[in-house]
Amino acid sequence: MIKLAIGVAAVTITILLYVITKLIYMKKPNPFLLPIFLSTACLVLLLVITDTSYQTYMIGGQWIDFFLGPIVVSLAIPLYRQLSLIKKYLWPIGAGIFAGSITGILSGILGVKLFHFEDWLIQTVAAKSVTAPIAISITETAGGNISLVAVFVMTAGISGAMFGPLVLKACRIRHPAAKGLGIGTASHAIGTAKALEIGELEGAVSALSMTITAIVVSFLVPLVLLWI
Amino acid sequence: MKYIMMLLQISVLFLFYYIGMFIQNYFSLVIPGSLIGMLLLFSLLVLKVIKLSWIRDGIDILLKDMPLFFIPVTVGVVQYLDFFYGKGSIVLIIVVVSTLLVIALSSWITDLMLRKEEQADD
Repeated sequence: MIKLAIGVAAVTITILLYVITKLIYMKKPNPFLLPIFLSTACLVLLLVITDTSYQTYMIGGQWIDFFLGPIVVSLAIPLYRQLSLIKKYLWPIGAGIFAGSITGILSGILGVKLFHFEDWLIQTVAAKSVTAPIAISITETAGGNISLVAVFVMTAGISGAMFGPLVLKACRIRHPAAKGLGIGTASHAIGTAKALEIGELEGAVSALSMTITAIVVSFLVPLVLLWI
Repeated sequence: MKYIMMLLQISVLFLFYYIGMFIQNYFSLVIPGSLIGMLLLFSLLVLKVIKLSWIRDGIDILLKDMPLFFIPVTVGVVQYLDFFYGKGSIVLIIVVVSTLLVIALSSWITDLMLRKEEQADD
């Protein structure tokens, strides 16, 4: 009975925080006010202050977790909607995504190796460029740490949204589709929100790049981990 | 009625998820079952076996508030705060550098190919 009450409280607080932070973000769309970032920060603070363990929070949290796998399945729908755009730019998009996916996996792993981190961090950093639900699935299958990859995914998203436009400018990227592709391949949904601000085509290509990258990376990560 | 419809549409996602998990386990694949489920649903949409309008409304509701569903996993970072106080903060820098590299390289290649295509069209 107490467990049920704790569970309901955990779910209620999580949803409430999400709704509030979403309203804040709608008023002030700043990467550090993103609902996923702000809600997580508030909840972490709350757990630390009240000295509540993560396991206690997860009595309710697991009910929300229950949707993670089905959410991955739901990404088939935006991908299907973008089919005509994918056909239009098939080769340029395919090449960019493939190059970006390999770069993301290898540079992350290389960095972790360079600073002599333990091996489990390699499995955890590999999928950091892709949208959170799929990154969590990939990392779980690869044997990495799913909470840390969620933080890395968020970091990739926020940094790409903040500095992505600067990088595009420095590299003199001109085509709107190429701009969207770069941001979507590296910074998934958080980047896509930024790409939408730049332009419509940028946003659309960013959204489809994020999903295709996630598919490509989930095939590449097991291969790369096997090879390393 | 509308809500029952949406519940049914969302349960389609669960169905595909469990089919995907079953395939992954049965063939001992290293690709996540959820992704297999997604590719399966995508294929059936492309082949027009499933019509988008049958499942759209309920699923769009979930997609709109997707971040909510990975808050609990992300909150798990509370168990690793010590890691980030120490050497772990370096990993965040690695992630940022890697992210910017991905943006530069992937957009550069796509831009190059698109420009070539446009020149070929002229």
